[in-house]
Order: sequence, then structure tokens, then C-alpha cells
Amino acid sequence: MRKIVATLAVVFVLAGCGQDPATPAVDSTAAAAVPRPLNVQDPAQSPAPPSTSPPACDVRASLRPPATLPAPGKMPAGSTMAKIVERGRLIVGIDQNAYLTSYRDPRTGEVVGFEIDLAKEIARALLGNPDAIQWRAITTADRIPVLQRGEVDMVIRTMTSTCERRQQVAFSTEYLTSAQRLLVNKGSGIDDFDDLAGRKVCATRGSTSIVTIMKQPSKPIPVATDSTLDCLVLLQQGQVDAVSTVDVLLIGLAAQDPSTEVVGKPVSDEPSAVAMRLDATDLVRFVNGVLDKVRASGRWTAIYSQWLGTAPPPPPAKYLD
Amino acid sequence: MFGGIIETGRCFLAIAWRRLIRRAATSPGRLTTLTAVVVVLGLAFGLAGVLAMRASVGLVSDVTDRSGPLSLQAQDIYRSLSDADATAATAFLGNGVEPAELRKRYLDDIARASSALTVALHSAEGRSATALGVLVRQIPVYTGLVESARTYNRQGIPLGGAYLREASALMRQTILPAAQELFRAEATRLSDAQRAVARWPWTVTLLGLALLGVLVLTQRYLIRLTNRRLNRGMVLATVAALVAFGWLAIAASGAAGHISDGRDGGSEQVGLLAEARITALQARADEGLTLIARGDGKAFEDDFKVMMEQLAGKDGKGGLLQRAHQEAPDDAARAAVQQAQQHAAEWLTVHQKVRELDDGSQHAEAVKLATDGDASAASAAGRLDAALAEGIAGGGRRFDRAAAGAGDALGGADIAVALLALAVAAAAAFGLNQRIAEYR
Repeated sequence: MRKIVATLAVVFVLAGCGQDPATPAVDSTAAAAVPRPLNVQDPAQSPAPPSTSPPACDVRASLRPPATLPAPGKMPAGSTMAKIVERGRLIVGIDQNAYLTSYRDPRTGEVVGFEIDLAKEIARALLGNPDAIQWRAITTADRIPVLQRGEVDMVIRTMTSTCERRQQVAFSTEYLTSAQRLLVNKGSGIDDFDDLAGRKVCATRGSTSIVTIMKQPSKPIPVATDSTLDCLVLLQQGQVDAVSTVDVLLIGLAAQDPSTEVVGKPVSDEPSAVAMRLDATDLVRFVNGVLDKVRASGRWTAIYSQWLGTAPPPPPAKYLD
Repeated sequence: MFGGIIETGRCFLAIAWRRLIRRAATSPGRLTTLTAVVVVLGLAFGLAGVLAMRASVGLVSDVTDRSGPLSLQAQDIYRSLSDADATAATAFLGNGVEPAELRKRYLDDIARASSALTVALHSAEGRSATALGVLVRQIPVYTGLVESARTYNRQGIPLGGAYLREASALMRQTILPAAQELFRAEATRLSDAQRAVARWPWTVTLLGLALLGVLVLTQRYLIRLTNRRLNRGMVLATVAALVAFGWLAIAASGAAGHISDGRDGGSEQVGLLAEARITALQARADEGLTLIARGDGKAFEDDFKVMMEQLAGKDGKGGLLQRAHQEAPDDAARAAVQQAQQHAAEWLTVHQKVRELDDGSQHAEAVKLATDGDASAASAAGRLDAALAEGIAGGGRRFDRAAAGAGDALGGADIAVALLALAVAAAAAFGLNQRIAEYR
């Protein structure tokens, strides 16, 4: 009997002993999760095709301006321009990430670039003050919605005039001619779209560029972002093989990373124009008048060469009538 | 041949069994059986009691040394990371070179988060360990992106902004949710542990009652059998069993009481305030990101509104803060919450002015009002965070006191029960052996 009690007592004491914590095993399968910019679509979804194909049109032709432009601040009563003058500032939808074309200078916090200077010329003619502008940074996909909601007076954001878009918004005459090409890492061996079969090519969501990528016979995989700059981030991180958009924007990207280069044959013809509301015909005519003056006075050549290099002749104005 | 052996074996067993039955039917046989029953029951009661007490002690120390501190560390990790993200963004909001103090604040935040992580890694399990794994793997990636952003920004090219947005997306979509998951997992673990401590040890109770019953019945049998006064050994055994039973009951109910006080007065309040703090930090980040987006930040502003509504309700008199106010365990806690509500209201007022300025094309003025000086939105948000931190610390202290009380209540109970159970078994065996000896 005593023996049993003694044995059980030993058991009691042993039961109280703690266990040694196990040393956790090292997870040898741990792999880096590559981060991504916000709102990346990989692969990009093709935009819904228009229910009816738009009627054929001349994408470069716009409304003829009046013979003489009204003086700054003295706009015809009841006109779209008069409302802007009354407000005291022009609201312009822009890109703030397109280096050299339209971007925010990190050193000053101000937006600068070719398109910004163009917008300032419009503000100067309309309000007599090139700085009377409220900049509204928008994504590529938001260009038409912000116009339709009346949140901006105009969009100047390398927006290509197309027959389909002309159903929804009005375009000025062409202020910049560009064509879609490729940006690749130097030494990547990629020279053209033919080298990109089954590889990833980046452009912004809602752009004509993404549609052009999808149409390439070599069948690259389109990847869509909010901003062309995000495409450069993806290229630098090895998450895409090329960026494809209009060459002005590609030059801006290449200027930020000397390890990249612009290559390839132009695969599209992209006239950039100022977009406005479909019903603001008076404003379209006014802007076309300003663009005419900017072309004729040499101002166009001046601002082009300030930002984008040796200036070609400005794209000629073309009118519907 | 084999059949014969088996037959013989069976015969032997049958004879032994019959002898046992016969012997058990005699008085000394019965007494021996009773002795065995009392000793086994006593030891079983003791073992179960010790295990229950040790389990409670383990749970209490889990609560005090692990889950409690870990859920505080999880909050600290969240706060530091969220602040790092907001600070990095603010540094880029200014023009040109980032201010040195913002750079230092960002680096301090990362250092604090990393050291809290190192401590948390020691004790995390399950859900928490998974969440910590995400943090450990992604924070270096995040800081790498921020440094790229900084380098490009100093070169005056917009690519820096793109890297910062990517970093911020990683923080907001992956890292902060993992930090929140860590916090929630620890909070759940904490309340599970609290519930487990508060649970009554029924196995021990039933064993104890059975033991006492057997002791009483045995003594009645002995009195009838021997027609004698009480047996000293058995009386001693009964007293020891009663003391052990009482000790267990008092220790268990004491610990349960303290722990549930700690939950009502401490950890629940801490949980609410911590959720409020995380929500406020999210709103602060939204405010900054709206400004950085410069006109393209509607999604962030919408998120800000959602967060503020969760925090303080539509009219500033609801949400998490109002719940914390209603459930505040004492005046000090209520006062801390009221402070927080007041700061939240101040912040919202400044924020509306910031939005008016920004929407009215006065971006520079909006940034100044948002970030600069005592009247700024950042300052109001900072005061709100400090008030919430104070409320959390107060709740933590109440919780620690309660947990310490629970620890004290359980202190020594396991050893006492073990010794008493051995005493029950020994005394009963001794007492009954005396009676059995009288038959030899």
C-alpha cells in the first residue's frame, strides 16, 4: 500500500514538469511576394466594344474658330467661356505623372510640362492670367467621365481623338502628333512587337494604347495600370517586358531611366487634342482659335523645344467646314 | 497438448477469482476493497485538482505574459507602420528635399515596428504566426520601395511618386491588414483564455464529491461493523479531503472572478479603444493620401468618411468611441474616452476646412492646415491618438491588476491540493489497515 502511494506521488511530481518548447522549423519555401502598384490589371480586360460601331469620321477635323477671338475676360454673354470667367478660373483635367509632357516637379510641387504650358496659353487668352487654373489630376480612364459630369472644363492629357470618343466628347484641333511604340530595357533583345509573343506589355487602363496592344498579331499579354509611370515601375521590377504607349510619353519614361530605350516601328497614328464637353461648341471654337495663335506665333515651337527636344513643325489645323 | 495447458491455466484463474470473491465477501475483504477505492479516488481527485490548477495557472500566465502583451505589441506594430506610411507620404507632400525630422520619424517608426515584431515572434502561434510571417516578409520590401521613391524624388523626376504609391499600396493592402489580423487574433486568444479560466472545474468537483461520499459511507460501515467510535485515520482523511475541496473551490472561483473583472474593466475596453485607434490611424492616412492625389483622391476621402463614421458615428456621438464611453468601467476611463471624442470632433472640423481649401484650388494652404502647427489636422489627430493610447494604457493597468489577483488566488493551490490528496490516501489507508489487522 505505501509503495503504491509513493509511486503515485512520483507520478504527481512528474506530471508537473513543463515541456520543452519545440524549435520552429525554418520555412525554406518562403518566396518573395512581388509588390504591385495600386489597381494593376494583369492581364488587362478588353474594354466593352461599342454597341454600334461609330460612324466614320475625320479624327483631326474640328470646329472652325471665330474670325477674331474675344478679348481676355470679355467673353460673349451666356457663353461657356463667360461662365468660366465668372468663376475666375479654368478647371483642367491633367496627368501629373507624365515626365516632360505634364508632371509635378518634386522639387517645387508645381505641375509643369508641354501640356501645362499649353493650358496656360488657353487661360491667358480666356482670363488674362496664365495661372488662373485649377489643375485636376485624373487617370486615363477618368478622362471622359469627369468631362461628362462637368467636373472639369477641358481635358489636356495626351488624349487621342478617335471616332468612338467623338460620340462622347468634343475635340479641338490636333496639338501633338504621336505614334505608339515600345519602351524596353536596354539589352533585352526586344526590337519590336514581334519579339513580344506571349510576353507582358503594359499601358494605362482605358487608353487607345491598351487596345492597340491587344490587336497586335504577335499576341502579347496586355497589363493595365492607372498611370504610364506605374508601367515603368513594373518594367524596372521585371514584372512586364515592355511598356507601349505614344512615343512622347515613352520619351518621358526613358528620360527617367537611362537603362531603358524606345524601340519599334510606330503601330498607330495618334493625334492628341483638347477634349471638351460635346455641347460646349463655343468653347471648342475658342480653344481652336487659341491653338491657331499659339501655332502661328511660334509659341508652340518654343514650348515644344523647351520640354520635348527639337520641335517638328506644329500639326496643321484642320476644320470640318 | 496445448489444450491441456490452456485448460489448466483457465482452471487456476477461475480458482483465484472465486477466492477473491469469497475473500471480498468477508469483512476484511470488504475493508481491503474499500481501502483501494478510497486511495484510488483520493489520488485521482488530487491528480485532477493539480492538473486543473496548473492549467488555470498556465492560462493566467498566458493571459498576463503572452496574449495581453502580444495584443499590445500588435497595436504598437500597427500604429508604428501606419505612422511610417503617413510620415513617408507627408515628407513627399512637401516640396523638394524631405524635412530631416520627418525622415527621422519614419525611421523611428520602422525601428519600433521591427523591435515589437522581434518580441512578438517569440510567442506567436497559429493565426498570429501567419500574420507575423506576412509582416516579417513584407516590411523589408516596403522599406526598399520607400528608399527607391526617395532616391528618384531627389533627382526631381516623378518616378519617385510612383514608387511611393506602390509602397503605400503594399502597406495598406497587405501589411496593415496583417497587423490588424495579428491584433484581432491575439484579442480572440485573450478572451478565449479568459473564458477558459472562468470555467468551473467540474471533473475535479465531481471527483471531490465522490471522494467525500465514499469517505462518509466507509465510516458509517465501519461504525456498524465494529460498533466502535470513529476511526482516527478516516477522520483525518475526511478533514484533509474537505480542506482540499474548499481550497480548490476558493482558488478557482477567486481566479475566475478576477479574470472576469479584468475582462469587463480592462481588456474589453482596451479592445474597443484599440479598434478605435486603428480606425483613426486609417482615417489619418486617408487624409494625407487625398492631398497627395491632388484632385484625384475622392476614393481616399470617401474612405476617410467611412472611417470617421465608424469611429465617432455620423454626428460625433456614436461609433466605437460612444460604445467605449458606455462600457467604461470607471470615471477615469470615461474621462479618457470623452477627451478622445472631443479631439475627434476637433479633427473633423479642421479636416472639413482642409477639404474646402483643397477643393477650392488652394492646395498649398490645404497642406499647411493639414500638417503644420498646433491648429493643424495632424495635430488634432495626434491628440486623438494620444488620448486613445492613454485610455488603452489605463485599461491595461486595470487588466494587469486583475490578472495579478487571479495569479495570487491560484498561488500554491496545486501544491496544497497535491499534499492534501496524498494525506487523504495515506490517512485512509492507515486507518483502514488498523481495522484489517484486527482480523489477522
